[in-house]
Amino acid sequence: MGASGTHLSDVGGAISAHGLGGAKDLPIPSELAIAGAVAALVISFTVLAVAWREPRYDPATSGRPAPEWLDRFVSSTALAVAARVLGMAFFLYVGAAAVFGQDTLINPFLGTFYVLLWVGLVPASLLLGPVFRAISPARTISMLFAKVSGVREGEGLYAYPARLGYWPAAAGLFSFVWLELVYPGSTDLGPVRLWCAAYLGIMFVGSALFGTTFLARADPFEVYSSLVAKLSVWGRREGRLVLRSPLANLDTVVARPGLVAVVAVLFGSTAFDSFRESTAWLGVVQEMSMPRVLPDTLALVAFSAGVGVVLTAATMATGVTPGTPRRALPDLFAHSVVPIIVGYIVAHYLTYFVEYGQQTVIQLSDPFTRGDDYLGTADLQVNYWLSMHPTFLAVTKVLAVALGHVVGVVAAHDRAVKLLPRRHQLTGQLPLLLAMVGFTVGGLYLLFAA
Amino acid sequence: MSGRVLARLAPVVLVLAAALSACGGDGDTDPPATSQSPSADGDTDPSATSQSPSTDDDTVAVTVTREGDSFTPNGERVELGVDQTLVLTIDADEAGELHVHSTPEQDISYEAGASEHEITIDRPGVVEVESHDPDLIVLQLEVR
Repeated sequence: MGASGTHLSDVGGAISAHGLGGAKDLPIPSELAIAGAVAALVISFTVLAVAWREPRYDPATSGRPAPEWLDRFVSSTALAVAARVLGMAFFLYVGAAAVFGQDTLINPFLGTFYVLLWVGLVPASLLLGPVFRAISPARTISMLFAKVSGVREGEGLYAYPARLGYWPAAAGLFSFVWLELVYPGSTDLGPVRLWCAAYLGIMFVGSALFGTTFLARADPFEVYSSLVAKLSVWGRREGRLVLRSPLANLDTVVARPGLVAVVAVLFGSTAFDSFRESTAWLGVVQEMSMPRVLPDTLALVAFSAGVGVVLTAATMATGVTPGTPRRALPDLFAHSVVPIIVGYIVAHYLTYFVEYGQQTVIQLSDPFTRGDDYLGTADLQVNYWLSMHPTFLAVTKVLAVALGHVVGVVAAHDRAVKLLPRRHQLTGQLPLLLAMVGFTVGGLYLLFAA
Repeated sequence: MSGRVLARLAPVVLVLAAALSACGGDGDTDPPATSQSPSADGDTDPSATSQSPSTDDDTVAVTVTREGDSFTPNGERVELGVDQTLVLTIDADEAGELHVHSTPEQDISYEAGASEHEITIDRPGVVEVESHDPDLIVLQLEVR
């Protein structure tokens, strides 16, 4: 009997080569979830086919005007300036930790980047609308640059090429998920700092060339946040603040080239995140002689491209009217994937966000790992209630995925009724429905297995 | 106005209700702490079951073998109860360290030859047991 050499180490001391956070969620303990979710999709499609024959959402008329005082408050310069000042202050605070802090996992820069920013922008945008663009340091600094150099607000040297659409954002999002999920040094300070520096550099140059339109199309965080914000109740119509149902709001997503790529990267990477920890994949990559970054990169590309190809094929496989070219359809239907993405984000990252988010708030008080307590949060304790209730967690996850898919089916149905010729309105949706059923089964299977 | 909104939302509500009942019922029938075999969860890798750990009521025993840079098991899942003791027998041809990615982290340093180590996890979740040189996931503890 050898002695047990087990001891607790300091939280995250020098341990690297592992993503942020400790324990992960348990696999969902039931097969019936898949059957339930597929049934929900098929039933919803059937109900829609009978009861929903005319398009119900029209960006030009939907939404109820918000109370005058609320509109005045939300549109006020004071609020805009306050948001920018807050965003910049937080950015500089965390930036100081990134530049002057120590290279350990308890440096709050990492938790802020991967948890508060990347995961947190989803609930923030769902509740408050397009928050990231209101606080975005890249946008604030670009606006200051423009002011100093005397350029009129929002203007650049050239007009942003319409053909580019959201493609730069898709590329930016891919580089983020690659850094987070594939790159072995994802929790080392240096590479993450480099990524952020490159991101900011590209945003500054882009906005100088193309004005703030560049940020709305190419900033991965702004595009992601603004897309999710379309599921909030906040919208604008002719400049006025309106309250819309999330479905009506979702319908106001403007289809631009590359929108399918954006949703494909967001969706595919979330699926890959489950897949990469499955025992089957681990068994394969850990037996290979090459480092796992290569097969992981290929798998991430395959998942993202796979989602994109399936969506493109499924939306184009229908009869069309002369007014809508077939190749425009994938981007016109891409908005229906946004609620599905949000559903999977809830399913994958709820515990991570709640528990590692608390951890990050605690770490933020001590940005230089010297035992400081700048914000007064250093002595708080993380509440692990969610981890301690795995059944509640599992049910929440399945509900989130199912709800996301059902909202997606409704959004796609309304769009189909609006765009497709009458005799193709139902049959034209079947390939997309099939794709969504496939995504549900695949997504829930991954939640089970990993 | 609200009546019309209600009518609009009727199909959605209906479908959600169907989805909720389908999934909700499912949640209820699941006892939170089960010790089903890992293969029931759709495990496609046959080698995962060949390494089945020996279990009695108080402890789960797993043997980890290290030969050079390769470890057995290779990222497989082991079920463990909350606060149940995992007895890890490590048979290694060189000394090294394993990291248990629970919260907080736990380290296991082992010498060359056979040694025995005990760990417990106090919260449900999937906890990875990793080697860091080379970087490999050796075990995933499914703590229920």
